[in-house]
Amino acid sequence: MTKGNPFKIDFFKQESIAPLIMFRIIFGAILLFSSVRFIYKGWVTTQYIEPQFYFGYLGFEWVKPLPGNWMFLPFVIMVISALFIVIGLFYRYSTFVYFLCFTYVELIDKSNYLNHYYFVSLMVFLLIFVPANRDFSIDVLRRPHLRRKLVSAWHIGILKFQMAVVYIFAGIAKLNSDWLLEAQPLKIWLQAHHQIPLIGNLLQEEATAYLLSWGGCFYDLFIVFFLLQRKTRPFAYIVVIFFHLVTWLLFPIGVFPWVMIFSTTIFFSVKFHRTLLLALKSIFKWPAYVPDKIDAKPKANSFVKLALVIYIFIQIVIPFRYVLYPGNLFWNEEGFRFSWRVMLMHKEGLATFYIKDKATGRTIEVDNSDYLTVRQEDQMATQPDMILQYAKFLKSEFDGKTFSNSTKSITLRDPEVNAEVFVALNGRRAQLFVDKKHDLSTLNYNLKHRNWLEPFEK
Amino acid sequence: MLYKSIGLVVLLSTGLLFSCKDKVGVDDDVTDFDKAEMLENVSSNIIVPSLNAFSTEVSDLKSSFETFKATPNSANLEEVKLHWKESYIIWQWLKIFDFGPIRDIGFKSATATYPVDTAKIEDNISNGGYNLSSVVNLDAIGFNALDYLFYNSNSLTSFQNNSDYADYASEVIEKLYNETQNVVNGWSTYESEFNESTGTSSTSAFSEFVNEFNRDFELAKTAKVGIPIGKANLGLANPDYVEARYSGISFELLEESIRALATTYKGNSYRTDAAGIGFSDYLVHLGKDDLDQTIKDRFEIILDKTQGFSMTLEEAINDPSKTDQLDELYLKLQEHVVYIKTDMTGAFGVLITYQDNDGD
Repeated sequence: MTKGNPFKIDFFKQESIAPLIMFRIIFGAILLFSSVRFIYKGWVTTQYIEPQFYFGYLGFEWVKPLPGNWMFLPFVIMVISALFIVIGLFYRYSTFVYFLCFTYVELIDKSNYLNHYYFVSLMVFLLIFVPANRDFSIDVLRRPHLRRKLVSAWHIGILKFQMAVVYIFAGIAKLNSDWLLEAQPLKIWLQAHHQIPLIGNLLQEEATAYLLSWGGCFYDLFIVFFLLQRKTRPFAYIVVIFFHLVTWLLFPIGVFPWVMIFSTTIFFSVKFHRTLLLALKSIFKWPAYVPDKIDAKPKANSFVKLALVIYIFIQIVIPFRYVLYPGNLFWNEEGFRFSWRVMLMHKEGLATFYIKDKATGRTIEVDNSDYLTVRQEDQMATQPDMILQYAKFLKSEFDGKTFSNSTKSITLRDPEVNAEVFVALNGRRAQLFVDKKHDLSTLNYNLKHRNWLEPFEK
Repeated sequence: MLYKSIGLVVLLSTGLLFSCKDKVGVDDDVTDFDKAEMLENVSSNIIVPSLNAFSTEVSDLKSSFETFKATPNSANLEEVKLHWKESYIIWQWLKIFDFGPIRDIGFKSATATYPVDTAKIEDNISNGGYNLSSVVNLDAIGFNALDYLFYNSNSLTSFQNNSDYADYASEVIEKLYNETQNVVNGWSTYESEFNESTGTSSTSAFSEFVNEFNRDFELAKTAKVGIPIGKANLGLANPDYVEARYSGISFELLEESIRALATTYKGNSYRTDAAGIGFSDYLVHLGKDDLDQTIKDRFEIILDKTQGFSMTLEEAINDPSKTDQLDELYLKLQEHVVYIKTDMTGAFGVLITYQDNDGD
């Protein structure tokens, strides 16, 4: 068995540019499609214009949405720059602008966090640095001397690495007792589809949940290795398509299955991509390649090498940062995001907030829907950092407000903010998550372990 | 090495599958649950019968009011009040089902928004030129506008001496009547669509049903009890926010609302209470017998607490000796939310938003 790991080999070995060109076109088309889809679905309005409050990321709370309909601007720019990426026009600027707009939008509100958005951010970031415009692009029509036949191994290898990270860490994340021993949350999610003709009954069988839990875990852990082998690749890709189609049919995960199905083509052979590219070129009557004097092997650049090593190191370390925290990862969600924990748990929460007047001991029960969208409330109710952010927001909302009826009037001064939160994890009965005794408005929002969370009782 | 580990995983998963097979065998006495059957039961034994009963009662309200308008005496007004009250009671069932035709025409807010703005109603009557379909008049129409018009202390004399006053009531009833007919017609075509929409997306009828069931319970908790007793106002009571304040039937409405929710939960039929398939059966099917029992018991406790007042809600609010009892009722309502909204919904695997999700 040959070692298929592309990262052990020379970063600067010269390889055909064809896979990179095809990836630019394919991934650019996905970006274009998903940006248009996001606008078309009306999500710009529901997620970036309507909310009154946004859950910023720690250290990035200064990232705010543009006023009103100006929020459409970054999305329109994304559509245009994605189109430019596909056709390879002003490639480096286009990828940079897309990365900037996309990441800006994602940083506004963590209740919109999805692993696949994080994936897109990283992929576009990487695309900025690889010469994916150096053939079959408007850029080389404008400046023919840019045209290349070969690229360095790392240009394609780093993209494969990123794909591998997604799959393998998603697999590692599944190595937990709920997933493997209880077949949860799949048991809940699958039975909900019991009305599907033919396979519906199968979906409410426990055995099916176990089969798919183990199968999914196995798939995520090993699919990359099968994709890297020439012999197993065709079969592995059929499995890729099947796996993602099943997830697409059963779960509301939007474009993610398509992103993965199409991005995975990066693992295909040079021959495959070259054939595809030639076919495309012949459709567009692309001039045959002019022999190139500049195609000499570039010097191994130690700065590039160092940057790559650092990037790879960070990508591998980040998903493991959860080991720094005590307690149950799924319960506390400390070190949970940016770790490829995809479709991993079913968490349902109910968070009731109380504003307490210190002078009289009287309380107000907050109606969350006055301040949060349905999605925001749903996300907040199970995620400790968001509970804390919301509590601090409520403090600023209520401090100084006056409440009265026909007989009495009370003005709140520096009120306490308490929350009683119940969370049901992976089909268990709800347990107390946050006790009412804490004044959340006085707690610090940082990366330290949150000892105000009630322990998970199993 | 790779192939060895693959082999190991395959071996393990096969072993696991066979070990589960026994478990499945044990579970075989639990019949496979079918959401479609549940939806069919709910629509044909709860929604449609309560809608028909409501429609009949609203027609009676309309005709009795016409009689009263022609002969405005106290006996005829009592007859009108009777039909008003009965239709408002039946409404407690319908308001759970705020989807399909009911949502399409905004029937829930047009029918039972409270508190109403009595000054606005009086202005409309004296100035004329009002448009009852306008959003600004949402708090000047529906059952609570009629509550004011029929039950305020000058009601009968106003009806006898002011034709504008009577016309206003007449138009409010007419609007209610027309919208009811729209919903009845809408449901006759929507029913089959509802019965078949069993998916998990947030727009499937099943998900909407679960979500609206929860919303209606929370609305009963917050609007019927919480806000009037001051839960959102530092405990400073707001009697102005009491539902059906002038007739004083708010406790009866709350009781019927809870009964409607409890019956719907069980899937039992409207009025006859004949057993049918509901959320309860789904939970039992999922092996959540404990939770099912808790929810049923808790509904009974809430009903019991609701019945514990021999006075109107406004009187209870104004009676300091009743404060603890009201708080206790509210607490029981509050505690119930976690069972139905968190535990039950979590077990069903229903989604509440329609955006992309990757499960974290």
